Formats: sequence, structure tokens, C-alpha cells
Amino acid sequence: MTEVRDTNVHFHQELAGLEQKVLSVVDRAEHMVEMAVEAVTTGDIDLANRVIAEDAEIDRLYFDIHHNWTYMMARFQPLGSDLRRMSVLLQLNATFERMGDQCVNIAKIAKLNEGLPRAERICSQIQEMGDLVRPMIRTAIEAYVRQDLDEARLLPAMDQPVDRLNANMYQEVVAVAGNPGLLEWSTKMLMTSRALERVGDQAVDFAEQTVYLITGERSEFNEEGLNGSDHDTSG
Amino acid sequence: MTNETKIEAVLTNPPEVRRNTIPASVDAAVDVVEAAISTEDMNVYYGDFLAVRDVNLDFARNEITALIGPSGCGKSTVLRSLNRMNDLIPGARVEGVVRFHGTNIYEPEVDPVEVRRRIGMVFQKPNPFPKSIYENVSWGAKINGFKGSKSEMEGLVETALRSAALWDEVKDKLGDSGYSLSGGQQQRLCIARAIATNPDIVLMDEPASALDPIATLRIEELMLDLKNEYSIIIVTHNMQQAARVSDHTAFFNVKLSDVGQRTGYLVEFSSTEQLFTAPKEKDTEDYITGRFG
Repeated sequence: MTEVRDTNVHFHQELAGLEQKVLSVVDRAEHMVEMAVEAVTTGDIDLANRVIAEDAEIDRLYFDIHHNWTYMMARFQPLGSDLRRMSVLLQLNATFERMGDQCVNIAKIAKLNEGLPRAERICSQIQEMGDLVRPMIRTAIEAYVRQDLDEARLLPAMDQPVDRLNANMYQEVVAVAGNPGLLEWSTKMLMTSRALERVGDQAVDFAEQTVYLITGERSEFNEEGLNGSDHDTSG
Repeated sequence: MTNETKIEAVLTNPPEVRRNTIPASVDAAVDVVEAAISTEDMNVYYGDFLAVRDVNLDFARNEITALIGPSGCGKSTVLRSLNRMNDLIPGARVEGVVRFHGTNIYEPEVDPVEVRRRIGMVFQKPNPFPKSIYENVSWGAKINGFKGSKSEMEGLVETALRSAALWDEVKDKLGDSGYSLSGGQQQRLCIARAIATNPDIVLMDEPASALDPIATLRIEELMLDLKNEYSIIIVTHNMQQAARVSDHTAFFNVKLSDVGQRTGYLVEFSSTEQLFTAPKEKDTEDYITGRFG
């Protein structure tokens, strides 16, 4: 069999560069989740400010990647798996930018909650959600980098405990609602829980994009991680 | 005889076409689902050289089908086999069946001139006759045995030029030479000439590769309009063009055979969307992403 020769070297080099840039954003986002959870559960305002500053860099990268993407499409008009990869990178760029925004939401809550009384039980549940969400992001990155379908399909199962904790958070807030001093703080922690739940969903979206890149078929995971109905891009 | 005097002779005394060697249509109910034209186990040889092998394709009606692939893959050979244009090349030979309205166009009783009237062709380089714009278009109708009045012929010429999106640009200079037009206009004139014989199918062999980008887009727009009336099969080496205009795409590749011949073959035939976003075959994927064996 004859050796395959790449006649599209310049495009493929730029594509690899673009991909690295997009993955660098999700690396930052994963780190931001850690910082934001730490800030909101310990009341560390300096850390919250660092999360907000880090998001400015993610926003800058988002526009930079979008600009590169548009110019590459104009010049190369890729097809086949190259086209799918470009499509996936555009979607991921938006998803990771929103992950950064969710971290900023949490950091802002940390600042708004400054000086308010806190409930340790709720803090430890938020901490637990953060501990579940960050490995989801890491697994999704590894599935993408290794192009590993089985690994990508782990994400929905990993998301289930996150969804459960988020659903339970309402009960936790109701439990402390009798204490007026805790009510304001705890309702904001409900929003924190919701933000972390969204980050988990975004990690699942990331894995769905990986499946599309590998198989060429667009579908949304159901709870078992199998391909379900048409992809829903809302949210 | 020079080429010009040959053309003059043909234009003055159009060849007699044996009519109805192919049925106008088979049973109407069958006709709806039947392909515009199909190949069955088609092999094309030039002398002993097998240029392309085992081609099985159904070209859909009122669609644009694109044939793509690297040089030497046989895509133009396949196209020329669909209206017996290969007959004009010494040593060319077609095995298998090319079915059109239920008839194998290579059956001895079929008149190749009638085949070419009903399956028109447009070439890479615009090739108007050294005649007026009007005569370029009316010629097709003349060889088709058109016996109408002068005003009927004028109507036919206008209709063909309008269909080819050229009428507004030439209506005031129909007596000017076809050569006086720009390259893009000449190509649309050739399309008008091809459709003036009222064909079922129009074959296009790289119809825009000699044109600038704007003229190219006009030809592509025209193709999209024309597919309402005709079935179009296009050979193009521009993959983005195939992606823009076609409904289905066939990818051909070429392989060195045991006897040292470079023979083309069909790799994949599917909807254009499928072929250019998620092709089934690795060879297709390699080709459309710029990786060649």
C-alpha cells in the first residue's frame, strides 16, 4: 500500500494550533472551577477576584479563537473530519467561555456573601459538587485528546451525582430557612449549586462533541451514555 | 477540410437524426422512480487499457450529481460514456450497460446522435461555433429537425437564452459572433445551445474551470436553476464546487493494477452532505482532507 502524503500541511498545522488554544481554555476553566468553589465556600475575596480576572483572559482567548476560526474557514474551506473538527472547536470555544462565566457567577456570589453567616453542611455539599465536576472536565479533555469513545460515554454517569446534589440543595436551603441570618446566604448558595450543575452539563456537551467528531453522528447522551435523540444545543 | 469549413458544412446540412431509437419514456409509473440514467457493471477501455472499471451508478432525476476524484480516476471517461461521446475516440470501448429510459444506449440500433441530442454536453473550455449568437442556439433545434416558422425559432432561441441566464445580456446583439462574448457568457451560450435540443440530461465536464470566480458562481447558480428542468451530471476537480451545487456525489479513485495499469474505480456514492461531512470510506476521507496515497 502506498504511503499517504498530506498535501494540506499548512491547514493541518493551523488546525492543531487552534485545537491547542481551545484546549488551553478548558484547562483554565477547570482551574477556575476549583478556585471559585474554594472562594465561595471559604469566603476568600482575593480568590474570587482572581477568578474574575482569569475570566477576562478566557474572554480574550474566546474572541481570538473565533477570529482565527473564521479566517481559517475563509481560506481553507475544510471537508470531512477536518470540517467536523472545525465545527466541534467552534462549539467548544463557546461552551468553555460559558464555563468561565459560571465560575464568575460563583465568584460574584462569594463577594456578595462576604460577612454573612454560613452553614457548613451546605458548604461541604458545594465542595463535593466541585470535586465531582472537575474530574468530569478532566475526563472529557482526555476523551477528546485520545479520541476515546468509551471514555466520552462515561460523562452522563459522572453527571448523575452532580444533578442529585443540585436537586437536594433546595431541601438544604429549606432546612436553614428558619434562621433569617442564613436565608440570604443560603439562597445564593442555591444559585452556586445551579452554576456547578451547569458546568457539569457543559462537560457532558464537550463529550457529546467528541462523539460527533469521531463518529460523524450528532446525538445527545441519555443517562446511560448511549446516543439518544437529536442534539439539543439550548442552554 | 479545415475545422471551420467542417463546422460550416455541418451547420448548412445538419446530419439526419434517426428518431425514436430510444423510447420517449417507459411506463409512466415506473418513470417516476427510475433514475435519469444508470450504469451497470460499466468498464471503459481505450484499446487494451482499462481506464475505469465496475461502475454501478444511478443518477437521480432533477438533481445535480457530481463526479470527483484525482487525475486519472476516470471521472471524465465515465461522463463521456453517458452520451457515447467516447465513440469519437479511436479504440474507446464500453462494456456493461448504460440504461436510459429503459434502453441500453450502446445497443446497435440506438443512434448515437439521438443519444447526444437527449443527453447534452458542456465542455471545460467554452466552444461556441464561429457563428452568430443566434445561430449557435438555433443550430441545436435545426439538427433536431425543427420545422417551425422563423418566429417560432426566434421564440425557441429566446427561451433557451433565458434559461441559460444570458438573454438580457445578448438580446440586442443576437447577430454578433459568439466569440464576441466574454468567457463566462460563451459558456452560458454553450449551455443555451445544449438545452435548445430539449435534452433530459446535461453533462458538464469542468464547466467553470476556465472561468473567473464571478463567472463561476453564475454558472453554479444557473445549474441550480436548470435542475428543475433537467438532470445534471458534473465532473469537477473543485471539491467546494461539488459541495456547493450537487445533491449526490460520486468519488472515484485510481489504483495501479496487477498488470501495471492505472485503472479508475468508484469508491463511494452518497448524498453530498454525507460525503463531505462524514464519508464512509477512508479513501474518501483522505482525499477530501488533502491526504493522497
